[in-house]
Amino acid sequence: MTRPLTGTSEDWLAVVVGLILFVLSLGTLAGLDLLGFAAAPKAWIDLGTAINPASEAYASFGGVASLILTYLFVLVLMLPAAAALGVNLPRFAASFSVIFWLAYLCWILGNYAYVAVTTPAEMEKFGTSWSLRLTGESGYLIALLVGLFIANALPRVACALREAARPELFIKIAIIILGGTLGIKAAEQIGLASSVMFRGGAAIIEAYLIYWAVVYFVARKWFGFSREWAAPLASGISICGVSAAIATAAAIRARPMVAVMVSSLVVIFAMVELLILPFLAAAFLSHEPMVAAAWMGLAVKTDGAAVAAGAVTESLILAEAAARGVVYEKGWMLGTTTTVKIFIDIFIGVWAFILAYIWTRHIEPRKEGDELRAGEIWERFPKFVLGFVATFLIVFLLALSSESLMEPLNAAMKEANVFRQIFFLLTFFSIGLLSDVRKLWQEGIGRLAAVYVVCLFGFVIWVGLAVSWIFFNGVHPPVVSG
Amino acid sequence: MAEQEPDIGKEIGKMPVEPLLPIEKKLIFWSLGLGAVLLFVLIWATGALFS
Repeated sequence: MTRPLTGTSEDWLAVVVGLILFVLSLGTLAGLDLLGFAAAPKAWIDLGTAINPASEAYASFGGVASLILTYLFVLVLMLPAAAALGVNLPRFAASFSVIFWLAYLCWILGNYAYVAVTTPAEMEKFGTSWSLRLTGESGYLIALLVGLFIANALPRVACALREAARPELFIKIAIIILGGTLGIKAAEQIGLASSVMFRGGAAIIEAYLIYWAVVYFVARKWFGFSREWAAPLASGISICGVSAAIATAAAIRARPMVAVMVSSLVVIFAMVELLILPFLAAAFLSHEPMVAAAWMGLAVKTDGAAVAAGAVTESLILAEAAARGVVYEKGWMLGTTTTVKIFIDIFIGVWAFILAYIWTRHIEPRKEGDELRAGEIWERFPKFVLGFVATFLIVFLLALSSESLMEPLNAAMKEANVFRQIFFLLTFFSIGLLSDVRKLWQEGIGRLAAVYVVCLFGFVIWVGLAVSWIFFNGVHPPVVSG
Repeated sequence: MAEQEPDIGKEIGKMPVEPLLPIEKKLIFWSLGLGAVLLFVLIWATGALFS
């Protein structure tokens, strides 16, 4: 990923777009169904029945009209955001449209009954004798693979589409919307929600302290990297990918191109993790769903890939459990991955400040007038977290205030959730589109990639698994039936 | 801002050799040490609060 590093402004834009969607969805509290037109595919055997509006009130629209309306609505929502980012608007609109329609097509394909359905009852309903049992979320992985194909086989097309391929912006909008859904779940199960938050916080404290120190040591001692390279590399590999690498590089005053290069690697390896780890988790941790969910948050780098991995892991494990006759409540695993990831994001600013303090005091004292300020913690604070906390708390407090609000709140979050899924989908496609694996063959990147491979596959993934196991084993999502 | 495409090979080739300073060793040691101590504290706290 070599575009300008626009993390902070994307954070605020995510807050604005996410909150607009959230507030519109809350129209249900006043009897207004404002987002019910949103189109989401469901399992299908006859393509004509694949897409439907989220709300019965818009049933007369039909699938095609609601899908076109959904596209236009999302495009209109994103255009001011694109303008605020200073990109070329016509080019953004064209790129975004192509990305939207290709990704949505992948989503429809992922919901094909032979791919998606998971239980014998569903197979009977669709008249199929078999299914890959990959769930509708397989559409996300198809989108990732199509994006990956375009990035590597059609580089000119990928280049033309990159203006609108913004996985971090998309996933942050999705996370803000997700905050409301988690607010309802937390209100229904306060004990479990507080347990997940505490355990998530504990897990990331451990992961931070162990990961960073070991990766830094390996990069410096074994691979001979200078401090300027080793610190962003350690943060990128061990903490939270792109944003951590950028924050650390800024904290120690590394040259911008160091963060750019580390970020390029982070994006490629995050994509590899996203394709492998959810399936490993589903194969070996299906009886410990929350361990699997926390593991995705601790092991997969970048917000987009981590939360996306959580979504795929949840769908695979829930499907496997359903086949065993155990139906877990949906959303708790994804909520766990997201909670872990958000805690990690919050701590990036604190860790960057600690590094800045050590660097300025002991390694490279800054010039007069450029002293370290406590305000730098706030500057590096991921602002989208404020949006997530706001949607979470609003729904949580409303749900606790009156039992009668639960129904309209559930309806609101169901409609908002369609947009959350759309932004997930756009995230997957964009991650693929930005994963130019040919960079691995670029001269000189071997040493960087070697540190990454040794640390990520040598211990970051396994320490993450151990920490997740220690804090989450025996914790299960609520069982709906079984 | 224009896109940046730095030459990784050249940049890594220019990288200076820097031995680990005592402060870096201290950072690594304290980070791991704190991690080990907090592991037991947090396991105890999780058990005490949620078991």
